[in-house]
Amino acid sequence: MGKVDVRHVWAAVLLATLVVMSPAAGAEEKSRLDVVLERGKLIVVTLTTVPPFAFNDEKGQLVGFDIDIARLLAQALFKDPTKVEFVSVTAEGRWPAIESGRADMGVGGTTTYPDRAIRVAFTRPFIDSGISILVSKKSGIKTVADLNQDKFTVASLNNPQMADRAKRFFPKAKALTFDTPAAQFLAVRSGRATALQIDTPSAEYWAAQNKDELEVLPGLLGASQNNGVFMKPGDFKWWLWLDTAVAELRTGSWYPQYAEIYQKWFGKNPPPQKFYLSQ
Amino acid sequence: MSFARWVSIYGSTYWTGLAWTAFIALWASFGAVVWGCVLLLIRLSAGRWGARGVDAYVQLFRNTPVLLPIYLIYFAFPMIGLPWPAVVCGGLALILQNGAYISEVLRGSVNAIDRVQFDAARSLGLAPWGTFRKVVLPQVLVYSLPALGNQVVLLLKDTSLLSAISITELTMQAKLLTEQTGAAYEAFIVVALLYLVLVSSTEVLFRVAHHAVRWR
Amino acid sequence: MIPPGSLALLAQGAAVSLLLAAAAIVGGTVLAIVLAAAAFSRIAAVRALYRVYVYIVRGTPLLVLALLLFYAMPALDLRTGPYIAGTLVLIIYTGALFAEVFRGGVLAIPRPQWESARSLGLPPVAMFRKIVAPLVTRYTLPPYVNVCVMTVKASSVLSIISVWELTLAAREIIERTFAVFTILGLAAAFYFVMCFGIDRLGRRVERRLALRGFAGERA
Repeated sequence: MGKVDVRHVWAAVLLATLVVMSPAAGAEEKSRLDVVLERGKLIVVTLTTVPPFAFNDEKGQLVGFDIDIARLLAQALFKDPTKVEFVSVTAEGRWPAIESGRADMGVGGTTTYPDRAIRVAFTRPFIDSGISILVSKKSGIKTVADLNQDKFTVASLNNPQMADRAKRFFPKAKALTFDTPAAQFLAVRSGRATALQIDTPSAEYWAAQNKDELEVLPGLLGASQNNGVFMKPGDFKWWLWLDTAVAELRTGSWYPQYAEIYQKWFGKNPPPQKFYLSQ
Repeated sequence: MSFARWVSIYGSTYWTGLAWTAFIALWASFGAVVWGCVLLLIRLSAGRWGARGVDAYVQLFRNTPVLLPIYLIYFAFPMIGLPWPAVVCGGLALILQNGAYISEVLRGSVNAIDRVQFDAARSLGLAPWGTFRKVVLPQVLVYSLPALGNQVVLLLKDTSLLSAISITELTMQAKLLTEQTGAAYEAFIVVALLYLVLVSSTEVLFRVAHHAVRWR
Repeated sequence: MIPPGSLALLAQGAAVSLLLAAAAIVGGTVLAIVLAAAAFSRIAAVRALYRVYVYIVRGTPLLVLALLLFYAMPALDLRTGPYIAGTLVLIIYTGALFAEVFRGGVLAIPRPQWESARSLGLPPVAMFRKIVAPLVTRYTLPPYVNVCVMTVKASSVLSIISVWELTLAAREIIERTFAVFTILGLAAAFYFVMCFGIDRLGRRVERRLALRGFAGERA
């Protein structure tokens, strides 16, 4: 055999790679629902410091209302609530995890917004929420209007909706931006910030744990909001199944299971499944 | 949208981050060098206990990650009545950490100074502080210039950790842009390039300074 | 004083940090050997590739590298948990650092050694095993141990990406119990023990190698 030209070898390798990779390009057509069923496990991306939606308890276990919702979905898919893997991220990490396909779906106190829905698809809400202000009692603030002074600092998450609300409701106050709700909480607790804005259930949870130092201001910052399951847009089959499952949880055949976890985390009954039923 | 287009739209928002990173890196480096010199002085002049104390300090900061003092100063100090602004907290943590390394670098260079010079200084009647200022410090700083440059680069890279305490430097900027625009790839590639530029400029700066000083 | 159960959680976190660092050190060393070989390649393009790789990895903060890989490279994200992704980032990072250490070690071998090795007429593999490797090990052990310590400290940066290890464990406990000084002090103690331990281990290995007459010197 004579001398082999290196360039030809490289060209051959390159061509071979392209040929091998092309079938992979067609693989995107399969629905995420089929992928999940085949895999036998659900991969869920979630924040991990938003009690009571998703947080680590004293034993280091990931628990919470949204975690239990994800387990109910796994139960529906595989008859086994343990077939879930949770991927923990910081606030801005939720979207890349979905877009890159690393996770099938996401939960974790994530609110549905029109501009957010451009990037990820949402199911109907599995719980109503809203944004409340958690404030340190020392500050003497009693209403949101009181907060709008430049001697106060408000801790927010790093998403544009929070920045928007800050501009609308308390533009004069100073702003701190963090990438996890826990950091927000730590900021308020340590005196770095006077208040924080977060989902009402989380604010109430933290206020209950720190009755002497913190309290929740009455009223919501804006309207009541919807927290839903989010996933990659464009996959109708997957969205339809998730949305159907959530609908059955809230208003249909799985309402008892839903009511059970609702009672466990919020200490009260969920809204009735139909308006004409008392329960 | 294409990379070029994304950069043309959002590129200008990086100026804030760049300014903060450069600003903090600048004064924290200066502070770290000063603090390193102070530690060196303590080691040289405070006898065995001074040397032991500095050793303990250096060992502590060499064997713990810099995130811990950052969190400590930012979140815990307000509890004991010291609510310094985030930039001060972050800068202070960087100074404390890098000052330890710098004092070790300087200490290595002290041994390069000819013993004769110390005798000469004493015969001139210079007090320890005077000796330190006029004999030790200038030579040690010149000898260590390359290693100091290295440490400054490390400090510059550590400023990225300050994004965790709500300082709008380059890394925080990238995260905010990821949230707002959904273009994680573009946001972080630009930030990586900006850091490379900053690091290279710093290295060039120190190399030029080293040449300039050596030919004096 | 110490919140109940926190010591156990911190110990778990420390174990995770140590495992991450260990995996990164093993993987990084393997990668570094390949890279160092590239650094001394006869092909200029390969040497240039090495320089570019080291330039990028050493010129970018570890946090930015990790975020870049986690968020922006889908190929890495698919089917990998945070630990694997975190270890990969650390391997890429330490690979560059170890490679520079090895390269420095090889460059530090005095000329006479190379010449006498060549005059012995040994084949390249034997030359590497009997002469280059022992010498390089001797010269590079202190900086190698240094990089190992840096790896343990670097694992704390992964906490910002929500990889659960010692620093994140400490943060979670603090956010629950608010015993900031105590918990951060304990976490610092765990890191100190791990890093200082590695340092001491390295010193002992150094002493052993020097005494046994490694690299051709009879004790």
